[in-house]
Amino acid sequence: MKPALILIVQLAVWLLLAPLLPGLINRVKAWVAGRRGPPVLQLYFDLARLWRKRVIISELASPGFIAGPAVTWVALLGAALLLPLGPLETGWGFRGDALLMLALLALARFASAWAALETGSAFEGMGVVREVSYAVLSEVSLMAAFLTLSVQSGSLSLQTMLAPAAGPGAALLAGGLFIVLLAENCRVPFDDPDTHLELTMIHEVMVLDHSGPPLAVILHGASLKLLLFALLLVQAVLPLGNWTAGTAAGALAAGVLIVVITVGLVESLLARLSFRRVPLLLTTAVLLCVFALLMAWKGGAA
Amino acid sequence: MNQQLNLLIGLTMGFNLLALGSHRLPGLIRVVAWQGVVLGLMPLVMEHAIDWRVALLASGTVAGKGFLIPTLLRKAMRAASIDRELHPLVGFVPSLLLGAGGTLGAVALSRALPLLPEHASSLLVPGAIASVFTGFVLLIGRSTAISQVCGYLILENGIYLFGLLLIRATPLLVEAGVLLDLTVGVFVIGIIVDRIQRAFDSLDTRKLTVLRE
Amino acid sequence: MTGPFLLLSGTALLGAVIAGGRAPRLWLGLNTFAAIAILAAAGPILGGGAAWAWCAPWTLGGETPRFQLDAISAFFLVLLAVVGGAGALYSRDYWSDREHPESVVRGRIGWSGLLLAMEGLLIAGNGLQFLICWELFALCGFFLIVLENRRLAVRRAGWLYLAASHTGTLALFAFFTLLSARTGGWEIGPMRDDPSLAPLLWLAFLGFGLKAGLFPLHVWLPSAHGNAPSHVSAILSGVAIKMGIYGLVRFTGWLPAPPGAGWVLLALGVGSALFGIAFALAQSDVKRLLAYCSVENIGIICTGLGAALLARNADDAPWGRLVLAGALFHVWNHGAFKALLFFAAGSVLHATGTREISRLGGLWSRLPWTAGAFAIGALAVSGLPPLNGFASEWLVYLGLFDAATTHGPSSSAALPAVMLLALAGALALATFAKAGGLIFLGAPRTQAARRAHEGGAWMRGPMIGLAGLCVIAGLLPGLLWPVLARVVAAWHPGWAGAAGPAPFSALGPRPLMLGLVLAGAAWLLTRTVRAGGSHRALTWDCGYAKPAARMQYTAGSFGALATRWFRWLLRPERTLRRPRGLFPSGARDLERTPETVLERGLDPLAKVLLRGVTIVRRLQHGGLQAYLLYVLAGVGLVAAVVFLGGKS
Repeated sequence: MKPALILIVQLAVWLLLAPLLPGLINRVKAWVAGRRGPPVLQLYFDLARLWRKRVIISELASPGFIAGPAVTWVALLGAALLLPLGPLETGWGFRGDALLMLALLALARFASAWAALETGSAFEGMGVVREVSYAVLSEVSLMAAFLTLSVQSGSLSLQTMLAPAAGPGAALLAGGLFIVLLAENCRVPFDDPDTHLELTMIHEVMVLDHSGPPLAVILHGASLKLLLFALLLVQAVLPLGNWTAGTAAGALAAGVLIVVITVGLVESLLARLSFRRVPLLLTTAVLLCVFALLMAWKGGAA
Repeated sequence: MNQQLNLLIGLTMGFNLLALGSHRLPGLIRVVAWQGVVLGLMPLVMEHAIDWRVALLASGTVAGKGFLIPTLLRKAMRAASIDRELHPLVGFVPSLLLGAGGTLGAVALSRALPLLPEHASSLLVPGAIASVFTGFVLLIGRSTAISQVCGYLILENGIYLFGLLLIRATPLLVEAGVLLDLTVGVFVIGIIVDRIQRAFDSLDTRKLTVLRE
Repeated sequence: MTGPFLLLSGTALLGAVIAGGRAPRLWLGLNTFAAIAILAAAGPILGGGAAWAWCAPWTLGGETPRFQLDAISAFFLVLLAVVGGAGALYSRDYWSDREHPESVVRGRIGWSGLLLAMEGLLIAGNGLQFLICWELFALCGFFLIVLENRRLAVRRAGWLYLAASHTGTLALFAFFTLLSARTGGWEIGPMRDDPSLAPLLWLAFLGFGLKAGLFPLHVWLPSAHGNAPSHVSAILSGVAIKMGIYGLVRFTGWLPAPPGAGWVLLALGVGSALFGIAFALAQSDVKRLLAYCSVENIGIICTGLGAALLARNADDAPWGRLVLAGALFHVWNHGAFKALLFFAAGSVLHATGTREISRLGGLWSRLPWTAGAFAIGALAVSGLPPLNGFASEWLVYLGLFDAATTHGPSSSAALPAVMLLALAGALALATFAKAGGLIFLGAPRTQAARRAHEGGAWMRGPMIGLAGLCVIAGLLPGLLWPVLARVVAAWHPGWAGAAGPAPFSALGPRPLMLGLVLAGAAWLLTRTVRAGGSHRALTWDCGYAKPAARMQYTAGSFGALATRWFRWLLRPERTLRRPRGLFPSGARDLERTPETVLERGLDPLAKVLLRGVTIVRRLQHGGLQAYLLYVLAGVGLVAAVVFLGGKS
């Protein structure tokens, strides 16, 4: 397919389909709680509303307060464009792009931390501290997961890493990546996206003082990140390369839907973890990925 | 020749014991001066042919060791205006006994050394070792700076005697070197003595312990 | 043309040493001229020219001086020229004649002396020359560190630096003497064929590792780089510790490696990276934080070097090229961004008078250029695209991933290395979010921070220049690949042929595009916000009515979460006095992270040694007569030994 067409399809998926996911999760949570819940397209309405609003900037904030969300969003989109969409080969892939993806996620985190510290509030500082500290463990898990995929497939290009059959450690890898998805996207049991109690916030508090278009950009970026991790999880576990294009696309969509529903169920059924337990859960994620790595290593050496 | 040499060396050893026993500073300086004169005359005795170089060196040694250096020491003593009585760390009688024992030991030791036959019969080596030892005893056993300088001079005389062993091989070089060494040393010590006096208002070298880190 | 340029730069630096006392402008001009001359000498060799060597036709002290300049030396010379020149320009306003009249002359002389000694070190072709230049360079470093010698902390830092430096020099003395004894001469050159030279490499590791600041040997680095003037910290962190790396690279290239050398270097590198950044996160003094971060980056470089050594010895694998190229690229990148960060920290110190992060805050409005420079430096050191830190770390990771996928005998080392480096990288991000955010953003915490003002053009210029270098090296890393390939080929000629396409060509124009899109998006969003009409007001802040500046997070509290996981290593000391009663008068909660290896390891050991030595010290009581007795006794003992020995 022509590169321009590929790019259009990718952008359509990422930009247009990503905001659907938070709506789906909220619907699942509402269904478990016996409520009707907000419409699935709620985030789209929110983004449009926010885009029209005026911005209030803190007296202490520098130009980085507005530039931060922009950098975050571009970095997340860049990481998203590197990820192949099942049968659709990304036009941006190259040898070593998995590492660029991780680095772009880190850039997004740094920029959002910088923007959060701008207002000089103690709460944002707290959110930044928690975010960057827990990110240490989730980054190790992601690196271990990529290492597993690389050892299994023998290459370091996401296209080839994600295509072939998942190895014997698929279940372990799935578990580890799911926990990392929950952590990175601020879902229960790490962080409650609906809360505004300062003692329990991580990501929510970092965006506390943003308003208007920058907040819209941040929210869209968050949904991008969620779709990114969901697609990564699904493609890492399912051997999409062995199936035809149509089957693969369908399996991909179904997989993302299953992930979303699982996230919604987890959010409804589990309570937030005490902060002392969070490193424990993240370490479990690291260990799951490391065990998957060892299984892949042994399998390859044999 | 050997007899005269042995006589002079015997005289030197006697002066060593005198120095160990003297309990006044001017006396000590006088003994060292006489020892210096005696040593200055030794090359004249040892050389068969007395040419102008030997004569010059001998007169220089006599002048330096016998007159110049003691004069400097007396001047320093007067300038410092210290007590002329010596207060020893090692008592006079023990120092004398040590000196005598050292002389006897030097004679015994030199018999054990592998010397040339012409030197084996002379008293040069025992005299040298005895002077060195005496110099050390004075250095260790006396507290006033000037008395320690005298001990150092006696030490140098011992080394000078050793140097006379080589008078055939390097005839005048050794004496000239030792003389120069000595002069420089005494000049430096003169300056240091002055400094010690200024800093501590006394020449008791036991006061130097305050310089310890 | 290499020889004349080197000679020109050498004479210019010598002239600068002499002129440093009286003519500041002449000194600056000579320094800049020397830096340009060094670049002119090193440039052609890196661009593909042949290596240069010159034997002097005369002898000096029995040895013929030999100079040689190949790709590896030229690589480090370029770093020296850039940071040395920038630092000289920076010091004109930072350590000016007006503010520090008593030490500015020493500073200038020391700076040029340091540059001259390092240049001599890099072009030495003879072991004696190497050692002489090494010692001179260590001494110049000492004099530069103690410029502010009225402060006790500075003097202590200087003594510690000197002690550590001389321990390393002792090891290097042993190394070079044994080398010359075994090879029969003081010349140093490729000596791979002689396997008896392999164990000497351990001595080289000790000596060069002490200078480079690898983990357990880094104890002098934080206090020395933290207490020195900022431009001195910049050149020490940026170039001087790279001399240790130069020695390691040089001699692992020329000598055969003993078994296990690659594993040890790799382990030390990974350990340094992880522990260094853990310490950095716990610091509240910005310059100590930057110093510990240097330990981390040296760890990354040694990881690459150790992996390359493994690759070369175990199976001559091509992934070794990638890790070595990444490590070397990181040498340059670290030099650039660490110097930039130290210059920015110096600017902050110059403006506010304090290095404590918890006393600063909100400096972006008063020091905009410094804030921008620090932000770029922070992005670079965290390894974020599209800057240069990412490019070099990407190469190292690429090589390690290749090692893991090839399943060779040494590739089991790559697995923990990759994961621990990722851990260190994430901690680095946290550290620099802390440093940059707490210093420049938010509200000023003290009066000093409120009254800061930006330095002059002489301080801003070098910062902008170095920031520009970081950006260009990050956006267009492909331009530098041929240089890196040449240096790698000089290290191991077996890797000289191009095995596959350059990795940066795979990266392609992506960094550049990313940079442009980032800039464009930021500009677009700002324009949208302004068009929509924004206004400044007090924001929500979770409903606090009167937020105070002291309520913001401090350096200690920022790092508290992550450093708690490393408490076994950091061993912080805590002073806690809780508020008591209904109307408490005061409370105190202080936490201090010591330099653990020094204060919990070396200090107790030193105390034990001192106790034993004090007993012997009683012999030294200052009594002249007793000392003479010792002399007599010694002579007598020697005579007895001679006699008895001769008799039997």
